[in-house]
Amino acid sequence: MVQKSDFEQINDYVWELPQAYDGRMRVPARIYGSEEIFEAAFRDSSVTQLMNVAMLPGIVKYAMAMPDVHQGYGFPIGGVAAFRWDEGIISPGGVGYDINCGVRMLASQIDYAALEPYLKDLIASIDRNCPSGVGGKGAVQLSDKELDDVLERGAEWALSKGYAQRDDLERTESQGRIAGAQAGAVGARAKERGRPQMGSLGAGNHFLEIDVVDEIYDAEAADVMGLAQDRVVVQIHCGSRGLGHEVCGQYIRALQDAPRRYGIDIPDRELVAAPVDSREGREYLAAMSAAANYAFANRQILAHFVRRSFEQVMAGKVKNWHLTQVYDVTHNIAKIEEHQVGSQRMKVIVHRKGATRAFPPRHPELPAVYRSIGQPVLVPGSMGTASYVLAGTSTAMDETFGSTCHGAGRMMSRNAALKQARGEHVRSELASQGIVVRTGSLKGLAEEAPYAYKDVSLVVDSVAGAGLARKVARVRPVAVIKG
Amino acid sequence: MGRYQEIEHTADLALHLWATDLPDLFTMAAQGMLALFVEVDDTQPETKTLTLTALDVETLLIDWLNELLYFVEVHGLAFTAFEFAALTPTALSATLRGGPVRAYTGYVKAATFHDLRVVATPEGYETEIVFDT
Repeated sequence: MVQKSDFEQINDYVWELPQAYDGRMRVPARIYGSEEIFEAAFRDSSVTQLMNVAMLPGIVKYAMAMPDVHQGYGFPIGGVAAFRWDEGIISPGGVGYDINCGVRMLASQIDYAALEPYLKDLIASIDRNCPSGVGGKGAVQLSDKELDDVLERGAEWALSKGYAQRDDLERTESQGRIAGAQAGAVGARAKERGRPQMGSLGAGNHFLEIDVVDEIYDAEAADVMGLAQDRVVVQIHCGSRGLGHEVCGQYIRALQDAPRRYGIDIPDRELVAAPVDSREGREYLAAMSAAANYAFANRQILAHFVRRSFEQVMAGKVKNWHLTQVYDVTHNIAKIEEHQVGSQRMKVIVHRKGATRAFPPRHPELPAVYRSIGQPVLVPGSMGTASYVLAGTSTAMDETFGSTCHGAGRMMSRNAALKQARGEHVRSELASQGIVVRTGSLKGLAEEAPYAYKDVSLVVDSVAGAGLARKVARVRPVAVIKG
Repeated sequence: MGRYQEIEHTADLALHLWATDLPDLFTMAAQGMLALFVEVDDTQPETKTLTLTALDVETLLIDWLNELLYFVEVHGLAFTAFEFAALTPTALSATLRGGPVRAYTGYVKAATFHDLRVVATPEGYETEIVFDT
């Protein structure tokens, strides 16, 4: 069993397991984080899962775990791995079931003091306008033709239907549309699940939150992002709903015999994979991209209805109730990108599972507005704590294929969290901190309680210390809708 | 008659299953999974038939569970009692009995293949299944 002593400390925030540790590993494995974070990675099977990733064909540089790493299925959550386009693989289990689960932040020009008297009305209005829960219908019903449009055009479809402003798309990763998506690669059952759910939050760890900016670390970057001290912002955390789950399941099942057919040795069946440039690899990529587009459109629709709620409740109460988009990031995805690997410029497919893209200043994929400061990175913390806005760095580009952490990272199983306290207790604890909570499930609330997660500040300090992002602002929650 | 037990997982949910034979394994897996997140209203009985084929027993088991999740999410129906007209490691034909979901007590997105091995034992079969939540 792999142990801490098998790792070599590279610097204060990087720990490396040499390739030679296990003859099946094709590259070394690296964990990013302070000593405390590194040690926490050994509490569950995160490290074994990371080693499994290092064994996959075509992987380059390292199998990497961000500081929010914890046990998942297949890849660990917080896992980053890039595979050569010419002789590497693509693995649906390296993306997961909730394809393009991600976070969007909207910024207002309203001081919290001006909004506070209307907070309960506002969160009730958002709860009405933005459906949540298991299954259930979304805010927008799609025809078959519209769903195909969503799958191929993502947030652009939302713009064409009046659910977006043009600068929302500029301020979305990949402009809210992954090229190469094909509606025809998505199965009938996935479409059946996705058609009624457009514009819905879902359940589990998904949430919609009203926050207040409570600390600014980088005044220039915060100003560019539209963030100012004491101003209200909104975060939306959700993904591709039943459609994405079905696409992942469909392709994991279809690829069960691909390792044998292609002679790929895999250490875990959840990591089934096909060569990127094979028929199966291309089909999965086209379907996964379509599911990602569905998720971009889903968060865009939810943003539209959050704006409607701000108008319904705050118009006439404050001068300017409009919300501008800070950014929208995906944290479960595989993307074709070009990166420097040693002396070579290389086309790779970067798998980020519970990890966020963090491109540096001057990267050509960034919109003009963020060209000077780097890509905004949104790192939601657990319910009662804080969330962070970071910016991408050149160190992340050099070391982690332009990737950083995605959240606090769970530390405690759902059962262990339930043993600590009941949902009613969690709700009253949050209320005592001035946080309003709306939820369909008190058990779910207890499972997502703040103490079930790592301290997000430790995670963020680790990525900042490692240079994988720089801190811009911190926000604290005042109202939460838990899916 | 087999049994199931929930086991610890940091982020998701997982079950350990013990079963006397394949019908028992598939029944325990289904009942264990549904007990993780739904309560069934058994005053309005519902019946469906289901036929599946797969590469091997692990794939058949995961297909089976994901079919049952589909009925929960899309039709709001949870099936917890089964009659297997046929069940081999690569095919099944079953009648499903259950009812509408009365309440959700959690959320399961999918049954996964993570570290999945159905192991034959002197008593029958054992396996562990991780569910994405």
